[in-house]
Amino acid sequence: MTETVDLVVIGGGIIGCSVVQHAAQLLPPSTRILLLERGPVAGATSGSCMGHLMVTPDTPQDYAFTRTSLDLWGELQQQEGGFDHNPTGALYLADADEDLELLPTLLEQFRANGATAEVLDGRQLREVEPGLAEDLPGGLYYPGDGVVLPMLACGAMLRVAQRANPNVVVRPGCAVIGFERDGDRITGVRSERGTIRCENVVNATGVWAPDLAELAGQARLPIYPRAGNLAITGHHVSPIRTQLLEVSYLRFAHGAATVDPTRTDDDVGGHAVNMQPQTNGGCLIGSTRQFRGMDKTINHALLRRSLSRAQRYVPAVATAPIVRTWVGLRPYAIDKHPLIGPWPQLRGLWIAAGHEGLGISLAPITGRLLAQQLAGLAPAIDHTPYLPARFAR
Amino acid sequence: MNARILEADVGVVGAGPGGMAAARRLAAAGLQVVVLDEGQRAGGQIFRQLPVGASGHDRIAEPPSHEHGHRLIEHFERAGMDRRHGASVWDARPGRLWFEQGGESWLLRCQKIVLAPGAYDRVVPFPGWTLPGVMTAGALQVMVRGFGVVPGRRALVVGSGPLLLPTVASLVSAGVQVVAALEASSRWRALRALPAVIGNGARRREALWYAKKLLLAGVRLRWGWTVFGCEGDGRVQRAVIGKVDRAGRPRRDTARAIDVDVVGAGFGLVPSVELGLHLGCASRHDAARGGHHLVVDDAQRTSVAGVFAAGEICGIGGAEVAMAEGELAAAAVLHELRGAPIDAALRRAVAAERRAADAMLAAFAPMPGLHELASPDTIVCRCEDVTAQRARAAAALHGSSLRAVKMGCRAGMGPCQARICGPSLQAIANARPDEVMDRPIVQVPLKVVRSETIVDAPRD
Amino acid sequence: MSGRIEGLGERPVVTITFGGRQLAAFEGDTVAMALWADAQVALRQSSRNGAPRGVFCNMGICYECLVIVDGVTVRGCTTLVRDGMVVERGGKP
Ligand SMILES: Cc1cc2nc3c(=O)[nH]c(=O)nc-3n(C[C@H](O)[C@H](O)[C@H](O)COP(=O)(O)OP(=O)(O)OC[C@H]3O[C@@H](n4cnc5c(N)ncnc54)[C@H](O)[C@@H]3O)c2cc1C
Ligand SMILES: Cc1cc2nc3c(=O)[nH]c(=O)nc-3n(C[C@H](O)[C@H](O)[C@H](O)COP(=O)(O)OP(=O)(O)OC[C@H]3O[C@@H](n4cnc5c(N)ncnc54)[C@H](O)[C@@H]3O)c2cc1C
Ligand code: FES
Repeated sequence: MTETVDLVVIGGGIIGCSVVQHAAQLLPPSTRILLLERGPVAGATSGSCMGHLMVTPDTPQDYAFTRTSLDLWGELQQQEGGFDHNPTGALYLADADEDLELLPTLLEQFRANGATAEVLDGRQLREVEPGLAEDLPGGLYYPGDGVVLPMLACGAMLRVAQRANPNVVVRPGCAVIGFERDGDRITGVRSERGTIRCENVVNATGVWAPDLAELAGQARLPIYPRAGNLAITGHHVSPIRTQLLEVSYLRFAHGAATVDPTRTDDDVGGHAVNMQPQTNGGCLIGSTRQFRGMDKTINHALLRRSLSRAQRYVPAVATAPIVRTWVGLRPYAIDKHPLIGPWPQLRGLWIAAGHEGLGISLAPITGRLLAQQLAGLAPAIDHTPYLPARFAR
Repeated sequence: MNARILEADVGVVGAGPGGMAAARRLAAAGLQVVVLDEGQRAGGQIFRQLPVGASGHDRIAEPPSHEHGHRLIEHFERAGMDRRHGASVWDARPGRLWFEQGGESWLLRCQKIVLAPGAYDRVVPFPGWTLPGVMTAGALQVMVRGFGVVPGRRALVVGSGPLLLPTVASLVSAGVQVVAALEASSRWRALRALPAVIGNGARRREALWYAKKLLLAGVRLRWGWTVFGCEGDGRVQRAVIGKVDRAGRPRRDTARAIDVDVVGAGFGLVPSVELGLHLGCASRHDAARGGHHLVVDDAQRTSVAGVFAAGEICGIGGAEVAMAEGELAAAAVLHELRGAPIDAALRRAVAAERRAADAMLAAFAPMPGLHELASPDTIVCRCEDVTAQRARAAAALHGSSLRAVKMGCRAGMGPCQARICGPSLQAIANARPDEVMDRPIVQVPLKVVRSETIVDAPRD
Repeated sequence: MSGRIEGLGERPVVTITFGGRQLAAFEGDTVAMALWADAQVALRQSSRNGAPRGVFCNMGICYECLVIVDGVTVRGCTTLVRDGMVVERGGKP
């Protein structure tokens, strides 16, 4: 039996769920939308990551991209909630004096975008976050960041979608195994549970996006898994209440310098700790960066480094109970920008993937931009830097 | 920092009957043995000892058939080896065990590992099971037999399987009035276990001893009954009990309330497989043996070279099985390290004890209908306060697997890492009472440890 | 009511403080058992809904017995008492 729908979204991570949500909200409610997910919804990267909603002020484009997305997160909280949304603000922490040099530049970037942020000295830091070590030289506070629990947010997005459009179907445990095409256009996908006819398909499969592109007979997309080790503490009252990150993070995480994904050593792209309070009283500690294929075994050396950095900033972490550790794979796009939009070489094929370490922050704007393009509506912000066409031959 | 590294021929995890039997035999053969156990005293779950210094009778409510167990403890404690109590093993590789002891981070390097980490109670969620005063049957036993503490005045004991009897006996010895002792399984189902009990000397004597103890205390075991819920203000004060059908489904029309101040619940045991799974050992699911357990060959070898297992980790079987398997595991280690032949009698003993245990436990195999005790707002995951209703919504959206349910509502992701809710989580979330739990998803640390323990862990 | 089984001999007595109140315990007791013998059954508060929780497994598996000892969260059922130990309820303050 062949099923027919209007839109298939492949991949039930935060990106796929957001695409489903915004498509359900922007396309007519008669549109039949089917989400196909190989494993559980939020079972891959979006269930193995942190939930820092982060504004990056590096350029006006970056700022508009992240800020608009965070505003959409706020809307989702209003509409649905239930995903531990917590407007914590963020503290960028300097460890030593050389890090202090990064603060004025960062402050300037926030200000240039009209945002408020403050540079704090050690004493002021501890007023915001009493658990911090006494000898920290300073930091920067940006009140606009927040924290969510990504796997619960996936569910919230899908619930909103199903309310907006009764024709949304979510099918976990059903992998896409092939595509049907007629010349240069897509006519359907083959799934583990049969063929589905449809004219539009979104590839939102994160680190697997290159495999799916290949399955559709296209060139592999330049997206590479970038591993991060995480640890979570138990339910004691969290030693922190703000999202904390080392300011040295800026040197490599979202900055201009690209890194070589074929290098597998521990340090590609540097290392900085990131700590996040959880509503249940735990604290999430991350997160390292390493290219080593799809390997998800813990890198103990890197994990130890994260934990010892965390102990350095928040001494109470030393005796905090660690409940679990794990590895997540960030979908790293080679030019550091996600791919959002149509694939020009196969009509009906769309891509929403490659968000590296910012996919949670950027999920709402990604879903919105893609749905706007599907619906032929004007984009919320300039979407051209993210068009996948830049990688087409 | 001093590198806290130990070297030994064999590392044994667990000082219950399985671990003690293995360690004693290995030490007697002249091998260097280190035993790591989280508990404060040797004996494991069954042969509980009171804290050091307590005198008078140092054993409470133990049948005479436990005598050889206490002789084993004596031999074990006299044998020359490094016994470490309060030591939690949190990471392992073949030949390596990392543990935390007294807030310090240690590494044991050894040639062979014997896993005997035992089991823990299985409790099916029911309304009010999170109230203080409601606990596992095992918890009550530990309280009485391990610490000489009186659990309460009026107790309710519920559950299924042979461990209800020792639980009642412990309470009686502590002077607690056992208001009701409810076995969910039917008398007819239980009759099937009779041949196994009668045919095995130790089991027969034990059963008779408990039967007499209950009789003298005037406690009657009621078959086909269980708890429907508990209530109270800040702690348990009342329980609603009633009959269940053969599948374990509550018959609501039989419900009635009783006043109690402590409740012990135990619906069987779950093998503690985490360490074995983390080491990569093959496992199998067998409901009557408590769920997922390690697979071992006829010399207690797991599928991973150099890793042996004994006792409940190989499937629930009780102390006699554990001791026999511990002896055999030790013989197999000696065979690999010293070329000593394995005595065929040890193999026969294991096979005979397993046969008897399997026959007995078959009568108390988990009853799926008990999963209907939980109402929509009953908390299923105690760590994250996830209700049955939320678990169901999660399964409906995210998928039916253990991982999907976890991702959809955070159940099973707290500090107990689904050890408590796991066995019931999928059955309740998918509203399919007889659904079997997926293999647990394990990850370091296998026991919760301090951040600095991980940071300071000696490199191998 | 809870309490101690009589006739088990005398172990050295230590004093601990729980929630600001002093109570006597025996050497060799775990924190959880010393508190239970003193009729203190609520050890932690659920961090989500604040409900009281107490000893559940008594063998280190369930983490329901979390208490704060000298500022560090530990399992009450696996932590031995020490003279002068200050114990607070675990979870939400
Ligand atoms: C350690 C770590 C920390 C992070 N911290 C943050 C943070 O604090 N803030 C932030 O904004 N971002 C963070 N991120 C980044 C963020 O997690 C990712 O960018 C985001 O989750 C990617 O989502 P996705 O939907 O693209 O991928 P995924 O969540 O991996 O979803 C892709 C889905 O596609 C499915 N799939 C694959 N193949 C098929 C097939 N053939 N058929 C059907 N389905 C298929 C997969 O099963 C998977 O579920 C972090 C990432 C990591 C690893
Ligand atoms: C609470 C409880 C009460 C019981 N009461 C009885 C009874 O009265 N009568 C009866 O016949 N049977 C009883 N049993 C059944 C019991 O499991 C067996 O009879 C027997 O004790 C099994 O022996 P074992 O060696 O396999 O494990 P256990 O006796 O359980 O010993 C395992 C030991 O390993 C330790 N351990 C586990 N993991 C780690 C780790 N990661 N690091 C360090 N140490 C670790 C544990 O602390 C424990 O001391 C009880 C079981 C439980 C759980
Ligand atoms: S009561 Fe379960 S860990 Fe202490």
